[in-house]
Order: sequence, then structure tokens, then C-alpha cells
Amino acid sequence: MAKQVNKDDGIIVVRNLVKTFNGREVLKNISLAFEKGKTTAIIGPSGCGKTVLMKHLIVLERPTSGEVYFKGQRVDELSERQLAPIRTQFGFCFQMGALFDSLTVYENIIFPIRQHQKIRNWRAIDELVKQKLAVVGMDGYQQHYPASLSGGQQKRVALARAIALNPEVILYDEPTTGLDPIRSDVINELILKLQRELKVTSIVVTHDMKSAYKIGDRIIMLHEGKVIADGDAGHIRNHPHSVVQQFIHGQVGEADLAALRLGGTRFTPQYNPEDFQ
Amino acid sequence: MIEAIGEKTIESIVNTGRFARFMGRALNQSAVSILQPRCYSLIWTQMFTIGVRSVPVIMVTGAFVGMVLAVQAYDQLAGMGLEERLGVLINIAVVKELGPVLAAVMLAGRVGGALTAELGTMNVTEQIAAVQSMGTDPIKYLVSPRFLACLILTPFLIVYADLLGILGGYFVSVIQLDINSRAYWDFSAQGVALWDLSTGILKGFFFGGAIAMISCYKGFTCREGAQGVGEACTEAFVGSFITILALNFIFAVVMKAIYSTFWPVQSLL
Repeated sequence: MAKQVNKDDGIIVVRNLVKTFNGREVLKNISLAFEKGKTTAIIGPSGCGKTVLMKHLIVLERPTSGEVYFKGQRVDELSERQLAPIRTQFGFCFQMGALFDSLTVYENIIFPIRQHQKIRNWRAIDELVKQKLAVVGMDGYQQHYPASLSGGQQKRVALARAIALNPEVILYDEPTTGLDPIRSDVINELILKLQRELKVTSIVVTHDMKSAYKIGDRIIMLHEGKVIADGDAGHIRNHPHSVVQQFIHGQVGEADLAALRLGGTRFTPQYNPEDFQ
Repeated sequence: MIEAIGEKTIESIVNTGRFARFMGRALNQSAVSILQPRCYSLIWTQMFTIGVRSVPVIMVTGAFVGMVLAVQAYDQLAGMGLEERLGVLINIAVVKELGPVLAAVMLAGRVGGALTAELGTMNVTEQIAAVQSMGTDPIKYLVSPRFLACLILTPFLIVYADLLGILGGYFVSVIQLDINSRAYWDFSAQGVALWDLSTGILKGFFFGGAIAMISCYKGFTCREGAQGVGEACTEAFVGSFITILALNFIFAVVMKAIYSTFWPVQSLL
């Protein structure tokens, strides 16, 4: 039974959220309230519905049933046009960056600004782009195209684009995946800095427990479309659920081990065509 | 068996509904874009990619259509001693049917394939979701400029195809087959009316609109992965091709009805 939440319990509230894809239930009756100004880390194994849940918060996915509220207003039923002013209050950092590959880094960052206002003072915009890129350590790359950047660099530029409109809520989809440990920590520090200085509400989907402990005021664990743990870092560390303990310690489950033992997999050092004859 | 047929039927009805909704939104957003000068730069960019860059290939298509018509039709007409009327046959076929249809088919391959591949790749790499997440309507930002560019420029491209088709036909008929130039043009002028030329060019709006709409829809709904993008491109081309042929047929019936209503005597001649 999902915990009951009120639409005013947080800046974003989801109530009894169910999402089905081709008859498969990906999210099963999820009710959550995200508190304003706090950072929430959503953890869970791959395919458990973390990204799908996050896409519902900005209505990039519509629920099969259930409700989504932003600042007390129901948003999942709004039209695309009605959603536009709400979405400008969000920044979304996509897992693979999702930079527009036909635009330069500079054009990518000014994209959200350009879409919502007429730019007159280009010098101020240049300065803004420089400042946003400096935050993620990418100043000087303004004229590069995304294809010429590494995966990690693309992710950092995507983060700079997500903060271009100074949003109230930033949604990060695996922001540290694919980054080296130092750059991962820079991103963690950046998320903390944005929360401290601008009181930004952050929701971070991650696999990286080090990152989740560091940035998360609250950690939520999803498993098979349900919330199985919800609390601060201490609560999660001492959670009695075996799946939570396996996940946070990165231990393989008994079922997976059994599959490896019994699967009859024979590894040979080299490809041998005779194996397939 | 019955279950499979039912499933397929429901799926095609759902897909038709989705396409109709997509088309409705795209038409609506295109009308809005025309009234907003800040959208013009996007439309100009697409006009260059879709229109200007297609000119050479469309001209080559048109030229070969005209030339092959001359080669193929000459023997039949010469057998009846009517070779000087070759111009009528070539030019009416080019401006009314072959110029517009083959130019549109060429565009479906060149432009439609590129649009689907571009938008499909944007879809699978979440770039379309990124546009949406920043409060911009992806239909307005991505589909409307492409739709308007195709809609506006396909008739112009048909003019190029017609022009080269006429010149190609003339070149083979007069220079190679030695038909009298004066007779060639005189008979052509008698046989080809402004109506024929106009209906051919008018088709361009419908063909262009259909190519853009189908290609963009396939790009927006393509499945993940390289195979998904590839399949979407194929489906977009096949869909556009069949739509062009079907629209051409409908257009022929409607235009004939209009012509015989307004000019009943000429239509009998």
C-alpha cells in the first residue's frame, strides 16, 4: 500500500502513479512528495523505472493512471502549450546529454534562453554562456560541436544547458555515469552548490552510491516499479531489506549467481569455430 | 488468425489516429509559425537544405524524363506521319504528370529520407525530449519549418523539373531526331494550355506537404537503435511514394471534374 501524500506536501508531488508500456507495468502505484530546496537521490537497479518516474515529473511521459502536481497545480493533464511555462522552471540533464548535434556548444546553451525571450544584449549572453560553462569546467569550448566532445564533456555541457534558465528544479538523469572520479565529484559539488546558493530542488537518478550519499538529503530506492526504501543516508545504510543492502554494497544476488553456475556457460580464451559446428 | 487480424486492424486504426493528431498539430503550429517572424530563420535554413540543395538532382530527373519520352514516342508518331506533334506529347506529359510526380518521388527519396533519419536520430538520442523539456514545442521547432519549406518549395522544384524536361525533350526531338523546331514549338503551344501547367505545379503543394508530414511523423515515432532509424526511413519513403501516387490519382479526377464543369466544350475536344 503506497503512502498517501497531499498535493501540497512538496514542490512536486506524484500520487498513485502507474505507468504501463505494452501491458507491462513499469511504475506501480507510486506516491511521493519532493520537498522544495532539497536534493533527492533516486537509486535502483537498471530498468526499475527511475528514468520513467523522472520523466513523469516534467510530463515528458503521461501517467497511465495517477496524478502529478507541481506547486500544488495538477500538471499531467495540461496541454503541451500549457506545460511550456511550467517546464521553463525545470532543468533536465539527460543521461546521454541530448545535446543538439547540429548546434555548437554556445548555441546549445543559449537554446532555452532564445526560445523564451528575444536576445538584445549579446554581450551579456556571451558572458552568461562563459559563466555557465566555467561552472562545469568547459569554458573555451563554445564553438565546438557536440560530436567533437567526449561523453563526459557532453554531459557537462548538458548540465550547463540545464542551468541556463536558472531553474527552480533540476532533474539529473545519471549525471556522474561515464565520468572520471574527480569530474564526478565536481558534479556532486556543483549539485550541492546549486542547492546551497540558489535553493534549487534537485532530483537525481543515479547508480553511484557514493554520489547518492554525498548529495542526497533523501534517498529513494525503486525496485520493480515500487518504492522499497525512502529516507536519509543513515536510514538507507541500515535498511533491513536485502535488495537494498545488495544494491548499496554492489553485491550480486543469489539468483544471478545461480544463473552463472547453472547456465552451462563455458568460456574459452579464443573464438573457436568448432564450438558452433 | 482472427485475433491477429483484429490486432493488426486495431493497430492500424490507432496509428492512423496518431498520424491525424500529429498532422493536426503540425498544421496548427505551421500556421502559428507563419505569423511569427522569429520563426523565419528556421524556415530559411530548411528552405536552403530542402529546396536549394535539391535543385540539381531535380533538374537531372526532369531532363531525363523529357529525353526518354522523345526517344520512346518518336517511332509511334513517325509511323503515322505525326512526328512534328511530338512536342505536344512530351510537353503535356512532362508538365501535367511526369515532371511533378517524378520530382516529388525524387524529393521523397532525397529530402524525406534525410528528414526521417535526422528526426529519428534526434528522437533516439532524446534530443526531441530535450527540446520539449525546455518548454519548446518540438512540433513547432522541428516539424513546422520542415513542413513549410517542403510546402513552399516543391512547386518551385517542379518548375525546374518541367523546364529541364521540356528542354531535354526539345534537345532529343529537334537536334537528334531532326524535327522542325518551329513546328515542334507551334504544336506544343497549341496542345499545352496554362491549365495543364498550373495543375502540375499546384500538385507540388500537396506532394511537398505529404512528404514532409509522413517523413517527420516517421522520424518522431521511430523505434530505438540504428535498425529503428533505418526502418523508419524505409517506411517514410514507401509511405510518401504511395501517397504521392494516390494523391496524383485523386488530383487527376478532381481536376478533370473541375475542368469539365467550367470548360465543358474544351474538355470534349
